[in-house]
Amino acid sequence: MKHATHIVLLVVTAVTISVAAQDWTSKPPTAADWAAVGKLPDLTGVWESPTVGRGGRGPAAAPPPVPQLTPAYAAKKRDLDARNPDDTEAANCLPTGMPAIMGHPYPYEFLLTPGKVTIVTEAYQQVRHIYTDGRPLPADPDPTFNGSSIGRWEGDTLVVETIGFSPLTTIVRNTPHSDKMRVVERFRLTAPDTMSVETTVIDAEALTTPWTTTRTLARHREWTIREYICEENNRNFLDAQGKAGVKLTLPAKKE
Amino acid sequence: MSSIARAIGRTLFVTAMIWGMGTSAWPHHAAAPVFDLNTEKTVTGVVKQVDWTNPHIWVWVDVQNASGPVETWGFEGMSPNFLARRGWTRTSLLPGMRITVTFRPLRDGKAGGMFITGKLDDGKVLTSAS
Repeated sequence: MKHATHIVLLVVTAVTISVAAQDWTSKPPTAADWAAVGKLPDLTGVWESPTVGRGGRGPAAAPPPVPQLTPAYAAKKRDLDARNPDDTEAANCLPTGMPAIMGHPYPYEFLLTPGKVTIVTEAYQQVRHIYTDGRPLPADPDPTFNGSSIGRWEGDTLVVETIGFSPLTTIVRNTPHSDKMRVVERFRLTAPDTMSVETTVIDAEALTTPWTTTRTLARHREWTIREYICEENNRNFLDAQGKAGVKLTLPAKKE
Repeated sequence: MSSIARAIGRTLFVTAMIWGMGTSAWPHHAAAPVFDLNTEKTVTGVVKQVDWTNPHIWVWVDVQNASGPVETWGFEGMSPNFLARRGWTRTSLLPGMRITVTFRPLRDGKAGGMFITGKLDDGKVLTSAS
């Protein structure tokens, strides 16, 4: 009898673990699901920031509001600032992660399919997966660079909520976030080929108040997303002492 | 400056943009710690090799020094992704072409810098950044 109880417990435990690991099972899309996608605001296509899409030398927009840090996080930022590294690990090809991933001077392609919005990010060749099929945010996601995202439509606005960020990402440079950081983005067409992206960072441990910035993206129907392998020929580096440099040695050309 | 402006006016490949000096949005690395963004220099030579690669193109130019030996200079441009959307192709610059490169020099004084424009013998000017 005791033996049987153990077996039942084992089975119950195994079932619980498998449900927790799967979280959600997608349903196969129906023709009606595909038709419904066609009725959504058309965010599809390739988009780029008209201000930063100039190799990082676009006309300066109004300076964005600065995140207001709690005393503990202000101290962390001071420590990082004092080390004064020349650059970030992006010089070594490490992607920036969220929320900075949405501020690149490179294009993004938005794809709408039943139950999902996918953002293909050209810089560092990354993909954001935003589930719009009604699933909840994962309860305890593994921390990742781009986090775990769900989205919903509020009228014509796609509202995306993201949690679960790697400690290797920052709110802005030298400004770490806590494991409580949540990012809410509101994507909305403001003209046929213009999209407004309002981004709010909420982090009660790091920020005294939510930090909101707004970006504009312009659609380029004539563009496609190109390959971007940062390691292909990266001659820039940031060394362990925080010094940036360039490798100028010219190897024999590979034929 | 006006000669550069005239050269730009003649070209096929110019992207006429007024660019500020902010570097915060540079996608891959900060330019200011590596390149002297307040200095502009030019050098003339012959294209030795073009790396049409991410995250940056590199243009290698053999420059005949006054003292004798040929020195190979390296210039970092934008990415092929960025440039291909603004008129460049992977054959815009080819080995053997004579080129006058306007660049922002490396802070360490080595033979290289950030490629701003390259003027070819036929008058074309290729613009990467400002």
